Amino acid sequence: MTKLYSNKKVIAILVLPGLLLFLFAILAPICLSVYYGFTDYSGMGKATWVGLKNYQELFKDEVFWISLRNSLFLAIGFICIQHPLAIIVAAVLDKLGGWGEGFFRCVFFIPNVISVAVIAYLWKFIYNPDFGLLNNVIKMFGGKGDINWFSSENAIWAVLVVLIWHGFGWGMLIYYTGIKNIDPTLYEAAEIDGATKAQAFLRITLPLMKPVIQVNVTMAFISALKQMETVYLLTNGGPNNRTQFTANYLYQQAFKAFRYGYGNAIGVVFIIICLLATVFLNWVFEERNGFKFGRAKA
Amino acid sequence: MKRKLVSVVLATTMLATMVTGCGGKDNSSADGAAGTEKSDDSGSNGGASGDAVTLKVYSNLPDRNNGQGLVEQMIIDDYMEENPNVTIEVEALDEEAYKTKFKAYSMEGMPDVVSIWGQPSFLDEVLDAGVLAELNEADYADYGFLDGSLEGFKKDGKLYGLPRNTDVAVFYYNQKIFDDNGWSVPETYDDLLALAGPIKDAGLIPVAMDGGDGWPMAVYLSDLMFKITGDYHQTALDALANADFSDPAFTEATQLMKDAADAGLFQNGYDSQDYGTAMNLFTNGQAAMFYMGSWETSMATNEDIPEEVRENIRVFTMPVVKDGKATATDIEAWNGGGYAVSANSEVKDEAIKFLNYMYQPDKLSKYGWENGVGMSAQDQSAYMTGDETELQKQIVDIVSQSTKVSGTTINDLGPAAFKTAIESQIQGVSNGTITIDEFLTGIADSVK
Repeated sequence: MTKLYSNKKVIAILVLPGLLLFLFAILAPICLSVYYGFTDYSGMGKATWVGLKNYQELFKDEVFWISLRNSLFLAIGFICIQHPLAIIVAAVLDKLGGWGEGFFRCVFFIPNVISVAVIAYLWKFIYNPDFGLLNNVIKMFGGKGDINWFSSENAIWAVLVVLIWHGFGWGMLIYYTGIKNIDPTLYEAAEIDGATKAQAFLRITLPLMKPVIQVNVTMAFISALKQMETVYLLTNGGPNNRTQFTANYLYQQAFKAFRYGYGNAIGVVFIIICLLATVFLNWVFEERNGFKFGRAKA
Repeated sequence: MKRKLVSVVLATTMLATMVTGCGGKDNSSADGAAGTEKSDDSGSNGGASGDAVTLKVYSNLPDRNNGQGLVEQMIIDDYMEENPNVTIEVEALDEEAYKTKFKAYSMEGMPDVVSIWGQPSFLDEVLDAGVLAELNEADYADYGFLDGSLEGFKKDGKLYGLPRNTDVAVFYYNQKIFDDNGWSVPETYDDLLALAGPIKDAGLIPVAMDGGDGWPMAVYLSDLMFKITGDYHQTALDALANADFSDPAFTEATQLMKDAADAGLFQNGYDSQDYGTAMNLFTNGQAAMFYMGSWETSMATNEDIPEEVRENIRVFTMPVVKDGKATATDIEAWNGGGYAVSANSEVKDEAIKFLNYMYQPDKLSKYGWENGVGMSAQDQSAYMTGDETELQKQIVDIVSQSTKVSGTTINDLGPAAFKTAIESQIQGVSNGTITIDEFLTGIADSVK
């Protein structure tokens, strides 16, 4: 047994497929991306080296900054609105029990099961100013009901609502699983000691959920930065780039504007921002963990 | 013992998967090689012996049962029937996906016959990459191509593709709604804007506009520009070359477009609504007019559209503007889509033969006409049957009575980066979030 595993050839053979996959499917494309970021490649024909020109342009590109700002907006929306709600709903679901628990778990998860294309069109119709559901509801309550939900001022909020709503079930399900893994005897003990429901949530559920929250928030942050398909189908960044998101802008530049080189430069900056964000989030959670546990021990 | 067994089983499974994995690849590449071998054979034998040839057609018309896609498929079926040794494989994607995959193909080898657009925004990069075969212009002298329709498909005097349609920008309007309310077709641009009020008072949308896509607005802007200048081609090319859009005609045209938006001529939220939504507003009778290209002429025969709308659709072109240089019969028209042959095709001769077959006057033009897909780029007058819809006849009259045509729209005259920029910023300038000056400098920046 140990002989087999200590045989270098066996190790090499077992590691090789994974290594090859990593090399050719992940590392090579990233390196190529960095290379193309320094060229004026249009996606066809020859690529000419242009040095830092793409990056210089990028830092002056207003649309890029708008798109980055929107992506960060979305990340904040996920972390400050979607996730607190998801934790609370998960905790309530956990206590619900019976058929209701399974039923609502399904209901909340449904948006994640439906294809993004359907979601986007569904909301397009809900928001339509002429015959949309939302304006008709407003009319029903005596309002004028002619709000243009995708106007320059409203569009970004309209898009955020859809994205937060869409990703809600996913986050909730992970929290729900996390809560299910908490030892129920802790709650029993707390109850005997006279803790209220709120106290049990704040003092038991939340601290024990920290690793889950950490993973979930990091994933939400990255998915916010990567957001592309829903926006592409919903507004495609319009009107006039007001709802542009970084990943969608990258696609637009690389594939629609025939600026593959510039698109890759956006990609490189984008990867760096994603990495920084992940490091930052890890740092935030680590500090907190150490601090809390340190105090608990003392 | 047990653990050892497990690990041996695992290792074997892994190896087996790897082997089958590689094996699979081997198989597929063997297939591929066999495929190429076959076509190589036919190539070397010159097709004289009638050896099997496979032609790959890459098309931007995914709907093979209606409109233009049906016409294309009918010709392909005809060709295969007449040439039993030829098999034609079609791969069709809609426009955006088509253009993306086109690039991938340009690196790994193009299909033999491809759809293209005879406009700098698409063709410049493609021709620079050298992926399209040069065609001999003299071969097409008696194909009846309309004057100037080949221009967009040329570079440095060499021809690389052939146009499929003649597209005209028009206002479709619902004649019944107009008659019932006593409105008349506007003679001037001011008349058009003046219609906005009464139409809205009647609870209708004046003009359904696909503003979400950007390009219909850019066509609208070009249309106005043409009415103002009488010929914007050189002005626009100069502006693009110098990255300077300060020519007063641009400001005036943009202002006129903005006037329309400000007057409420377009539906609420036009700047975020897509093609389908805008068109539905018109075909459901909620909008009195719809600004689009002549390719939508087939609305008149589309059974999905309610009869009372379908039978009352008529058209007019952009009315004249005050002090404009163009007359009412000068129209915004261009030759956009078309076909080309891949430069590296292994069956290039057969591909060109098929291309020429498509453009035989009784194919694209005739079938297209019979299916009401709009005007081809060739002389279609021989195929008039007298049974055409009112709408078709009107479009024919508009084209045949035109005194001047604009050629390629402004958004398609520049590189793709310009097209992307103008088509998003035009939403901002029309809805008032950016000023006209900001718009004009913004689009200039994209070509610097």
